[in-house]
Amino acid sequence: MTDRGQMIYLDYAASTPVDPWVVEAMTALMTADGNYSNPSSTHAAGRRSVEYIAHAAGQLASLLNTTEDTLVWTSGATESDNLAILGAAHYRRERGQHLITMRTEHKAVTDPFSELEKQGFEVTWLDPDASGLLDIEALRAAMREDTQLVSIMHVNNETGIIQDIQAIGALCRENDTLFHVDAAQSCGKLPIDLAALPVDLMSVTAHKMYGPKGIGALYIADRKGVHVEPLLFGGGQQRKLRPGTLPAQQIVGLGATAAIAQSRINDDFAHLTALRDRMWAGIRDIPGVMVNGDIANSFPGILNVSIEDIEGESLLLALEPLCVATGSACNSKSQEPSYVLRALGLSDALAQSAIRFSFGRLTRAADVDTAIDLYRNGVDRLRRLAPGHAA
Amino acid sequence: MSSDPYSAEVRALFAAPEHGGALDDALCAAVEDQGVRISLFATVAEGIATELRFQAWGCPHVIAAAEAFCAGFEGRAASGLLEFSASGLMQSLSVPVEKRGRILVLEDAVRSLGSVVRGASDY
Repeated sequence: MTDRGQMIYLDYAASTPVDPWVVEAMTALMTADGNYSNPSSTHAAGRRSVEYIAHAAGQLASLLNTTEDTLVWTSGATESDNLAILGAAHYRRERGQHLITMRTEHKAVTDPFSELEKQGFEVTWLDPDASGLLDIEALRAAMREDTQLVSIMHVNNETGIIQDIQAIGALCRENDTLFHVDAAQSCGKLPIDLAALPVDLMSVTAHKMYGPKGIGALYIADRKGVHVEPLLFGGGQQRKLRPGTLPAQQIVGLGATAAIAQSRINDDFAHLTALRDRMWAGIRDIPGVMVNGDIANSFPGILNVSIEDIEGESLLLALEPLCVATGSACNSKSQEPSYVLRALGLSDALAQSAIRFSFGRLTRAADVDTAIDLYRNGVDRLRRLAPGHAA
Repeated sequence: MSSDPYSAEVRALFAAPEHGGALDDALCAAVEDQGVRISLFATVAEGIATELRFQAWGCPHVIAAAEAFCAGFEGRAASGLLEFSASGLMQSLSVPVEKRGRILVLEDAVRSLGSVVRGASDY
């Protein structure tokens, strides 16, 4: 077991602690003296659960500036991505079978696209520029009459780079193409106005924004031609789009999470910016260190750095008790260098040396200072140990 | 069942590699393979490896194995370098299967050092 008394958690892009207010709201729907009933039941307790869920839907809808009926509850962003991509592609397959995404998307997006390729769809995989940004003109050039879906994430989970979803969505609208956005890293952290953005499908999750694991949502725009075919069958809940007993306590957790995020989104952003800038200022003079991405166009909760001539796995161990990531947490057990960083043009060695620091509400400046010391000391120690270093 | 990829021994050896670094005016062998770089240094007196040091660029298991080798071989007959086998280190350090090739790079480096020592003795 990890000694939590000593660990310094800088892996908020992987997951966050649940806000105590969220825990309190959820607990009220789980215990015998609370409202634990099945929201599909027609008795008074069931109807009360429905009211709780409706309230939570209002909270999430408010955060995203949309209406409650555009939201479908899922188990998290991975399921939302699958429902959006597989569901939309299947729904529109008679119109065309060309789809577009980027090589730097999360596996929850790339794997459904790979699955669609096996089913006969044609997928164009766009490369980013060196900072990770999508070239809008490259997207325009890739668009075809039969392009049915474009999926581009809002904030990259490894680099924090922010894509211009306004411009991408506008291009999709010109082409009558559906636009899906994986917003797992941006929901509750960056302002999202779905009433104004040309986005048709958006995936969100609770556990990246101080909510519980196991709950997310898919936004489906109330617009002609926007629809998805379900992945699951049975029960008929949620307009048959995602059947199954609604986990009221999880949904209430996501709703409370959204409400808290909305109330402090600007304060959180300022806090994260100060921490990220402090971290970079503390290590930027180390020879060979570089930012993966572009700080000027990144979500400040993520700082991804590589360093020349350092072995990444040893650096990660040298950084303990820091909890950081070498790449996407979902992929960190792999020995392979990050495919996202490789797509940015990094060599295997540089990609393998990458460390993702991700900060959160509970991160203090002192934590960052400790991280700076550990990183500097770790790099120095490993370089002194490397062949070629003078005796 | 532990989810920790490193044994307590690997952690200890990695954290404090007392034999890390180079030796001036010592015999030396260097090997680079499988993304691992290892240099070994030895001073030999009357056929005994009196001092061993290493430099390594590799994962924690590689660094731990190099440290364990140096600590364990000092004071032994240098002729044994030529017959060194890393299999014991792989077992004692619980090196995962996918990393055993990297520890064989250490074995190559040790045997290479043995050849250097033998060559120096011939003179």
